[in-house]
Amino acid sequence: MSRASRIKTKLESALQSAALKVEDISHLHADHAAVKEMVGGANETHFNVRIVSRDFEGKSLVKRHRMVYDLLSDELNSGLHALSIIAQTPKEAGIDISGE
Amino acid sequence: MAALNPSSSSKLQLFSNVSSRYSPSISFYPLPKPAVSFSSIALVRKTLFSRNRNPRAIVSAIKKLAETELVPIPSEDSITGIIPSDSGVYAVYGASDDIQFVGITRNLAASILGHKKSVPELCSSVKVGVVEEPDKSSLTEAWKSWMEEHIAATGKVPVGNEPGNSTWVKKSPRKKSDLRLTPGRHVQLTVPLEDLIDRLVKENKVVAFIKGSRSSPQCGFSQRVVTILESQGMDYESVNVLDEEYNYGLRETLKKYSNWPTFPQIFVDGELIGGCDILTSMYEKGELSGLFK
Repeated sequence: MSRASRIKTKLESALQSAALKVEDISHLHADHAAVKEMVGGANETHFNVRIVSRDFEGKSLVKRHRMVYDLLSDELNSGLHALSIIAQTPKEAGIDISGE
Repeated sequence: MAALNPSSSSKLQLFSNVSSRYSPSISFYPLPKPAVSFSSIALVRKTLFSRNRNPRAIVSAIKKLAETELVPIPSEDSITGIIPSDSGVYAVYGASDDIQFVGITRNLAASILGHKKSVPELCSSVKVGVVEEPDKSSLTEAWKSWMEEHIAATGKVPVGNEPGNSTWVKKSPRKKSDLRLTPGRHVQLTVPLEDLIDRLVKENKVVAFIKGSRSSPQCGFSQRVVTILESQGMDYESVNVLDEEYNYGLRETLKKYSNWPTFPQIFVDGELIGGCDILTSMYEKGELSGLFK
């Protein structure tokens, strides 16, 4: 299973997500010094994550990002070098979930 | 060997009052040098007789001020390809094509942009002269030749170059040094690193823990944080988490202290506000100015 799939699975199973996008941008950082030091998974180091979930309601940005970081702590400890996070509530993202 | 005619030798005469009364101001604004050529800026290399010991001296001469092309000053994002980042002299003109200031610089683009930012109402267009082999005397000679030409034509000095006029002299603030948590790796700490971190973030308004130094960030996210903080005119402290000599062990300790696994980390009033993403988000929403007061 690729890191992108693992990230997606972990986030989806823990958060009620209305939208989730996991983007691997490792190729943009291929010359990054830290990347060169890695042995395994050297091509899965940089990701952009955008997740929309009601679980973020009433929470500050710091808390939201911490939630995501906590869920992906195993990845961060095994080669995930950088993670860019956009964490929004459905209202903030303009997603209508009244149909649920 | 060609003989010089009498009229050209008179051009080598210098006005002593110019050099004594109006000293050029040299400004240094670092900008990356674009790898482009500028056909509109011509260099003239002349071989001239001179009275010194060398029978021939190669002098890099720029165009006459009157013959140099006047170009509108572009905005920062479109300056590449229009104004070079080379060393040289420049003359800034106002909206009525009136000359405002003649300056010397190691980076034409950066200096002109700097002026445009600080006194935009006086910076409408500009003439630039690139000085080849830019040692100090060549730059000064080029500056003098433009000043003398202007004085000869108008009988007066550009207002910006008059004594006491400091409009065009920008004293750029010296970049702060990064803070160091310890005197060195070999020194035994009497206080736990956690306490040093805690004291640091609480005693300073804004602290950014970054990868690399403030003047040379080592990753794009830390670079973005520095750029945002600098653009806000923030008085902030920076700590290089990659400094293994003076900040040994900081990375792991800080992750536990802040419960945040990545860098950079930005603290305000002793509290973590987040990393690059959150700072960028707050910057884009215009929330930073309120936070930093």
